Amino acid sequence: METQIEQLRVEALSAIAEASDALALKEARVRYLGKTGSVSLLSEGMKNLSKEERPVMGKLLNELRTAVTAALDEKEGALTAVADAAALASIDTSLPGTAPESGSLHPLTLLVDRAVQIFRRLGFAIADGPDIETEWHCFDALNTPADHPARNEQDTFYLPDGRLLRTHTSSIQIRTMVANPPPIRIIAPGAAYRRDEVDATHLAQFTQMEGLYVAPGVSLADLKGTIEFFFRELFGPGTEIRFRPHFFPFTEPSYEIDLRTEALGGKWMELAGCGMVDPAVFEEVNKQRGDNAYDPEKVSGFAFGFGLDRLAMNLTGISDIRMLTENDLRFLSRFTA
Amino acid sequence: MKISLSWLRDYLRTDKPAAEIARILTDAGLEVGAIESTGVAIPKVVAAQILESVQHPNADRLSVCKVDDGSGTPRQIVCGAKNYKVGDKVPLAQPGAVMPGDFKIKVGKLRGVESEGMMCSSKELGLGEGADGLLILPPETTVGTPLSELFPAEEVFEIEITPNRPDWLGHLGVAREAAAFGCGELKASEPDLPAIKEDSSVAAITAPAAASFYSIRRIDGVKVGPSPEWLRKRLESVGLRSINNIVDVTNFVMFETAQPLHAFDAAKIEGALTVRFANDGECFTALDGREHKLSANDPVIADAKGAQALAGITGGAASGVSESTTSVLLESAVFTPTVIRRASRALGISTDSSYRFERGVDAQGALAASARAAALIAQLAGGSASVDLVIAGAVPAPRVIALRGDRVRSLLGISIDDTAIASLLAKLGIKEVSGGFEIPAWRNDLTREVDLIEEVARLHGIGNIVSTLQGIPAHSSEADRAYDFARALRRRLSGGGFHEARSGTLTGSRDQASYAPGDSGGVVAVRNPMGEEHSTLRASLIPGLLDAVSRNLRHGADSIRLFEIGKVYRQEQPEESTRLGLVITGRTALENWRGESERSVDLFDLKGVLARLGNPLDPITFRSTTHASLPLALEILIGGKPAGILGVLSPAATREVMVGGHQGQIVVAELDLAALQASSGTGFSKDPKSFGAIPKFPAVRRDLALLLDAATPYSLIEQTAQATKEELLSGITPFDIFSDPEGVKVPIGKKSLAVALTFQHSDRTLTTEEVNEAVARIVTRLRETAGAEIRG
Repeated sequence: METQIEQLRVEALSAIAEASDALALKEARVRYLGKTGSVSLLSEGMKNLSKEERPVMGKLLNELRTAVTAALDEKEGALTAVADAAALASIDTSLPGTAPESGSLHPLTLLVDRAVQIFRRLGFAIADGPDIETEWHCFDALNTPADHPARNEQDTFYLPDGRLLRTHTSSIQIRTMVANPPPIRIIAPGAAYRRDEVDATHLAQFTQMEGLYVAPGVSLADLKGTIEFFFRELFGPGTEIRFRPHFFPFTEPSYEIDLRTEALGGKWMELAGCGMVDPAVFEEVNKQRGDNAYDPEKVSGFAFGFGLDRLAMNLTGISDIRMLTENDLRFLSRFTA
Repeated sequence: MKISLSWLRDYLRTDKPAAEIARILTDAGLEVGAIESTGVAIPKVVAAQILESVQHPNADRLSVCKVDDGSGTPRQIVCGAKNYKVGDKVPLAQPGAVMPGDFKIKVGKLRGVESEGMMCSSKELGLGEGADGLLILPPETTVGTPLSELFPAEEVFEIEITPNRPDWLGHLGVAREAAAFGCGELKASEPDLPAIKEDSSVAAITAPAAASFYSIRRIDGVKVGPSPEWLRKRLESVGLRSINNIVDVTNFVMFETAQPLHAFDAAKIEGALTVRFANDGECFTALDGREHKLSANDPVIADAKGAQALAGITGGAASGVSESTTSVLLESAVFTPTVIRRASRALGISTDSSYRFERGVDAQGALAASARAAALIAQLAGGSASVDLVIAGAVPAPRVIALRGDRVRSLLGISIDDTAIASLLAKLGIKEVSGGFEIPAWRNDLTREVDLIEEVARLHGIGNIVSTLQGIPAHSSEADRAYDFARALRRRLSGGGFHEARSGTLTGSRDQASYAPGDSGGVVAVRNPMGEEHSTLRASLIPGLLDAVSRNLRHGADSIRLFEIGKVYRQEQPEESTRLGLVITGRTALENWRGESERSVDLFDLKGVLARLGNPLDPITFRSTTHASLPLALEILIGGKPAGILGVLSPAATREVMVGGHQGQIVVAELDLAALQASSGTGFSKDPKSFGAIPKFPAVRRDLALLLDAATPYSLIEQTAQATKEELLSGITPFDIFSDPEGVKVPIGKKSLAVALTFQHSDRTLTTEEVNEAVARIVTRLRETAGAEIRG
């Protein structure tokens, strides 16, 4: 019997080694370890052995079963690994990936958002106001007299009732101050309108960002620091910023802001207007509020405003500003969020 | 405003080059936009005389000339021009000259014949377009004279003058500013002011609203004629045309001092010159011969016969200076800016004079300009001015403004002592006197303390201010929350495959009303639009999105998903509201190599997107509705209230948008953003049903195949199942629906609907029996209420 065991061992291990696929291996398992398999049949013979032989042969049989089982498991593992590898090897990984189509955000949205996030770092809150404005909010309160050229029908869109489409977001300064006492620290992104003939560099509607800070002791140095912080955050620390004295009815002193940065092509670009809030504006606001909350002797402030369309045009490298309102997917899809 | 550099140098001693002066002026607030160069500044271009000219042996169009350039040896020049004759004097660029465009002149052969230079046209010299061919110089020109002597180089600044600084509208004012900012030294020349007297038989103001000061000086014995060369050049350098010596002097003094002047022919004036308002309907013929019918708002200078000038705007044809004039009345006045502006606009006449009066002049300046012009006229036209200047109105005393040093320091954020402030202001001629600072007459813009602070800021230079930065905490405003909500929504939609559009607010009136919310109360129109296409404030975002769809289809797009967040406008309150608009059309997905079947989008693609935008605790629902422009339309309900519309465009409207053979549906939606924001949760809601513990026990799914009348809506099945209030029923999902036009698989007039019912209990595993019982109860109800039969 010992010989039989040894013979079966050699036969079984060789059969297992030769099994080339999962089916052959399964057959081998049945043939040797099944209920009527060779190992089981050999075990049947145990009952014919002597009492002394039984434990010895039993031990040998157990060893046989263990060895065959181990060989089967090992072979099965090996075959599975081969099959798995084959299954993966057939995949052409050079095919492009597939995913649901992705959308995009408008470049002006991205730009407004960058600006908003920077000013929020400095503690500015957002304010808003209507596009359809009164002459008082848009002009009178901003120290722009009735016969000022900006107010004529050539330059400003009027409604039949005498109100107008705001020509700048500065009207939001007035709305905010009339509604709230100082301190005020706001930015206001929004649309503004001017009766410009639409061409490659002009739109009749444009996107502006307004800023206002009013509190006791606000100075021109604060304005300069804020503007520099903003543009260097937006365009990088190497951005050069130049303030040119200018005139706006609602600020004094007033400046225009020029910028030079690689992001904008390395040329000086006129970008924004700013200044210290004119006391006449505070006086108008006080009159409307019916108090003296904005006493020019007690509070001072700065204001700034800049257009975002020209900037977006420059940053996106388009030569026609109308691209910003034409919603051409070939353009829009470049700005994946 | 053109400022000629050589003219500027009449008042400013400076050795700085043009670019440096431009930089200093720009830093002072006079933005130099461009520096224009005229004349010839090219060395080695001289006057030469053509001695002979013969046909080029190898070229029909060329000739070979011998010219004398004053060097003693005639030069041989090959030339293509035809407009000269032998003996003419022309400009010659000698070898070594560098022409505009960096074109170097060299000795070289042209078609085999040597040419020692180039004879030039005015265009080649940068002297403007001129006539074709060579520039023929006057016969008296000396051969060999450099062209830079014949056409002296002149640089002209184009300066943007801000409306607060009318004193910069003359060269003298710009020179003053340049000197104050360290550009050089002002050459002061105070004119000798004549004695003044009032005489209402000569000059009078009967409309004080129109003029605060009026002066007339009589100059007799003038001889009207052409102006000398220097005067013509000065006027041409700033774009003016020379007329005659009298008129030229008035223009010259205006561009020198910024004070407009007018000269009347004294022989044509009867009685006193009076400033008054015109009579309604009064007729007036201007210098240019045009007739105007005046109104009572128009200020005039009238004599006994009627209006002789439109005050501050233009002279009259009847009393203008002509060749026969021998005596002139020289007017120098201060008219009221608002009056001049209104009249100029009403009459549609804008002149150099009205431009300056609109911005403001001063009486002291008017006196000085009158004296200056009288002296020049005497010099150039030989007249003798009367001893007295006759005036009406008043010359105001100088203004004194108090200035607090502390105010300067706190507003500008600089440390500067009072002495330094005073010495800065002194550079502008602003003198410290008792009680404050005395303002020069030409600085009408300085009326308040803050105006002086601005001057200190300019002179101190913002570059010398040390930047400071403050931050204060700010609570989020309502606008912040609205911004953040829209921002998150934008990112969600773009992540979901939508591209963000931005369309103009001003659109054509057509189509605006058709997609507007039902209660729009009429569209808002602009009174003075730029054409019909931009005449109306949009009442809906959908027309703009449809324009974008149309444009993108033309460009070959085959899958379009666009959204826009923006304001719409209507006549009723709220007049402005922010809405979300969406449009989809074309294929559902990009083509890929899997070969999965693609289909065209339909209503449900957008309905699904919208449903996910709402708060899961208070989902967006839909209700079928009728809509004039959307034959298939659903009302969007947020919190049960109407908040927008979803629908499919009519085939006719679709064809209008789709061009070039595109097919499929266009699905649009628009909803109110404020309503959506109001319904949205914080994301941390504590609703026990949706956000409680994660279920520990498995759910059981049972599928039902229902046979229904074709007209039975799915919503009836869902509502009926939910109406059973089965405690264990946790969800119902349709997963297949079909009908068979042949009547084979499903009888005609019926449809098959497969729904999955999900059952779950939070505390235990369900038994088969209790699920079976629940399903049986639901089936019974479906049969009774919805007429459903169970298939198979």
